[in-house]
Amino acid sequence: MSSQILTTPPAVSSPRPWTFPVATSTATRAGTPVHVFDRPGQYVATVRVTIAMPLVAEPRELEGIATIMSRTLDEGTELRSANEFAAALERHGAAYGVDVSSDALHVEISVPVSHLAPAVKLLAEAVTMPAFNQADVGRHVTIRLGEINQERANAGYRAREAFAATMFDPSTRRSRPTAGRPDTIRPLTNVEVAKFYRDNIGPGRAQILFAGDATGVDVAAIVDEAFGDWTAEAGPALETPEPMYVVGDRIVLVDRPGSVQSQLLIGCPGPDRRTDIWGSAAVANHVVGGTITSRVDTVLREEKGYTYGTRSSFTAPRKGGIFTLSGAVRTEVTGAAIAEALKILRGARDGLTDREVSEAKDNLIRTAPLRYEQADSIAQQVGSNIAAGVPLDFADTYLAQIAATTAESATEAYRGYVGTNGLLVVVVGEAKDVRGQLEGLGDVTELS
Amino acid sequence: MSLTYPLAELTLDNGLRVVVSSDRAVPIVAVNLWYDVGSRHEPPGLTGFAHLFEHLMFQGSRNVESGQHFGLLETAGASLNASTFFDRTNYFESLPSGGLDLALWLEADRMGYLLDAVNQENLDNQRDVVKEEKRQSYDNRPYGDSYERLVRMAFPEGHPYAHMTIGSMEDLDAASVEDVHAFFRKYYGPNNAVLTIVGDVSEEDAFDAAKRYFGHLPAIPQPPAAPNGTIGPLEGVARDDVVDDVPSDLITMMFRLPVDGTPELDAAALALDVLAAGQSGRLNRRLVRDEQIAQSVSGGALPLIGGVSFGTLTGIASEGVDLQQVEDALVEEIEKLAAGGITEDELLTVQAQAERDWLEQLATCAGRADEISHHALLFGDPNRINTRIDQIRAVTLEQVQQVAARWIRADGRAQITYRRPASTEGGEQA
Repeated sequence: MSSQILTTPPAVSSPRPWTFPVATSTATRAGTPVHVFDRPGQYVATVRVTIAMPLVAEPRELEGIATIMSRTLDEGTELRSANEFAAALERHGAAYGVDVSSDALHVEISVPVSHLAPAVKLLAEAVTMPAFNQADVGRHVTIRLGEINQERANAGYRAREAFAATMFDPSTRRSRPTAGRPDTIRPLTNVEVAKFYRDNIGPGRAQILFAGDATGVDVAAIVDEAFGDWTAEAGPALETPEPMYVVGDRIVLVDRPGSVQSQLLIGCPGPDRRTDIWGSAAVANHVVGGTITSRVDTVLREEKGYTYGTRSSFTAPRKGGIFTLSGAVRTEVTGAAIAEALKILRGARDGLTDREVSEAKDNLIRTAPLRYEQADSIAQQVGSNIAAGVPLDFADTYLAQIAATTAESATEAYRGYVGTNGLLVVVVGEAKDVRGQLEGLGDVTELS
Repeated sequence: MSLTYPLAELTLDNGLRVVVSSDRAVPIVAVNLWYDVGSRHEPPGLTGFAHLFEHLMFQGSRNVESGQHFGLLETAGASLNASTFFDRTNYFESLPSGGLDLALWLEADRMGYLLDAVNQENLDNQRDVVKEEKRQSYDNRPYGDSYERLVRMAFPEGHPYAHMTIGSMEDLDAASVEDVHAFFRKYYGPNNAVLTIVGDVSEEDAFDAAKRYFGHLPAIPQPPAAPNGTIGPLEGVARDDVVDDVPSDLITMMFRLPVDGTPELDAAALALDVLAAGQSGRLNRRLVRDEQIAQSVSGGALPLIGGVSFGTLTGIASEGVDLQQVEDALVEEIEKLAAGGITEDELLTVQAQAERDWLEQLATCAGRADEISHHALLFGDPNRINTRIDQIRAVTLEQVQQVAARWIRADGRAQITYRRPASTEGGEQA
């Protein structure tokens, strides 16, 4: 074949149709649903236990207890000390992790399929028979207090914390950090932690996911062997309450002395997965701030050089989403960057073009097979679907919503939220250098 | 376990090495290019140039408008990016297989004809973007300058690894369009790169496509080799003690390690893992769990090809604990490892963890393409992706102890500490 110099891009042929992988679903003897996603060639499997655990179940004065409970599950079990447990699990080549979201606890291992059975046994030991010794709980309380110091030094974290505190009504759990604050963490002992576990963790609230190469492996039997005898008295999970937003145009300045950049977080309420505009909102977001070629970065990064890059997104737990645009900009141009960003965010309400929407749809639909190529990404997605209360294959619904989106429906979805009831601007930076730049942009509240 | 990912290799007449690994499991294809230029190639006065190119390569080329590279690939459903490191620069995209020709055309146009589009305007703009990247990734976060300060101590002045890839902003400010053009002409050409294609395409079709888009590009003169960085273990202790408004006191130790591609480096990496990896590592057990003098510990080896590698150990002191206690405990554990070696159980554990890490790295077409480019470019042997696990499993207890005794020594380290000013010591804010 001869080589030639082509001066225009070669054509792209249509991709093959793609749908989210289908699970084989069973249940353990204890009644816990088990969903097996067989992915040939994925030699490292993920096993994820997703347990309904809405954060509203935490006592107000002990917020963060769900996080401490989750982090101490593997710190000693009825059968092994913390050090023995870690040594046993890691000897099988497994990695263990927990994640607490506003609606669920996820406990997972990733492990070569060749070591699946013993590693799942250990996972079950952590989930179903934790010891909660005071020494281990106390150590994690101390570690969490140190972590809070690290968070306070992190500009991105400070912006998210101030955003939640300002966007949600102060009476609600959503307005406060998932992992708790020093005054709610310090009083925690193993007695409260064990009680929170008994009240909230049990086979009736859990679902177990496997994603990986299941060739020649009876995954359902391995999971049943490990989790089938699980008994617990936890009742049904509380229903997550509807969100209570505080709306209106506002600017919040958080002083972070020594900052050489201003961390920005601009946003407003957004939809959640219960509405069928979830997909068209994602399309609109992609156009406005979802990528390096979006309207915002085309100006802030590529024209002005204010930032290494910004990103926007619509995100949502089970109930009550938010729209956010985040990024860090040079201190000297903070005011100018906010003004440009607000102009673009508000200007997008006037309409997205057919071409922008068509390109965004192509990207979101065609990248789906990439997003779910690895076993772990399937387990993550399905776990998050369970937590959000949508079907396991919600990714297909989402892609169908995107395929049906038009320039009009994307604009309408966007106009339903962004700028409709004001925009909250959080700035984390050197207050003395930034304060003057915010004049004329709106009323400023300062936090330290 | 032994792996059997298929590999086919071809070198085009212009010197471009092409490696193809067909995998029809998912309808996507990964394209990955490694150029043999990284920060170790940068002469004094031009630090940060390799990384600056990573940015300029997205600003258009002869037949591609500014912004079009991202635009065309995103619309085709691609995930794409690039990265710069000490040893190399890479460019990559994964996308539905029907977009393979587009990806190759775009990569070829910028490999051959980037300079048609590099002018003062986009140089100035991307220089600003790089400065914001440095502020975001280094200057605006606690301990952000630790590696920059450590490599300056761990390697002699002018050594290829004595400066970080982000480089000096003064050097970037001084760069003219002519400097940038000269750097590109020196390093960017088909005979200084490896092109890897992994995924839903046959070997024959992939090679044909590579020839179709890259075949006409002329070879460049043989680029100058990077300076030889061969050097032995560190001698003595180099210290840098920083007092700053950090959230917690922190210490990082850096060691020189053997060059990548040797059993010695694999043994050194496993030795550091026994100390610092996972929950069962010696440092976590002792400092975090048992003595509770540290909030967290971490560490590991950073394999490099230019004559020497390096590795680190980091500890963050618990609230109210003197950082000296953490340093003393680290020193003790280092000395114990060199003197007494490790147990068979520890070796089997870190080998099992390394195996899982490696399998995860190869679990996507993109990850596999990156490792194929890596091993083809730096070692001349892409099949190392199939034998890495066996190499790691072959390391013995004796090798670990020998390499630790020579390279991971308390009296051969660079060390940085960050301490809060005395007035805020122990001050925990609500």
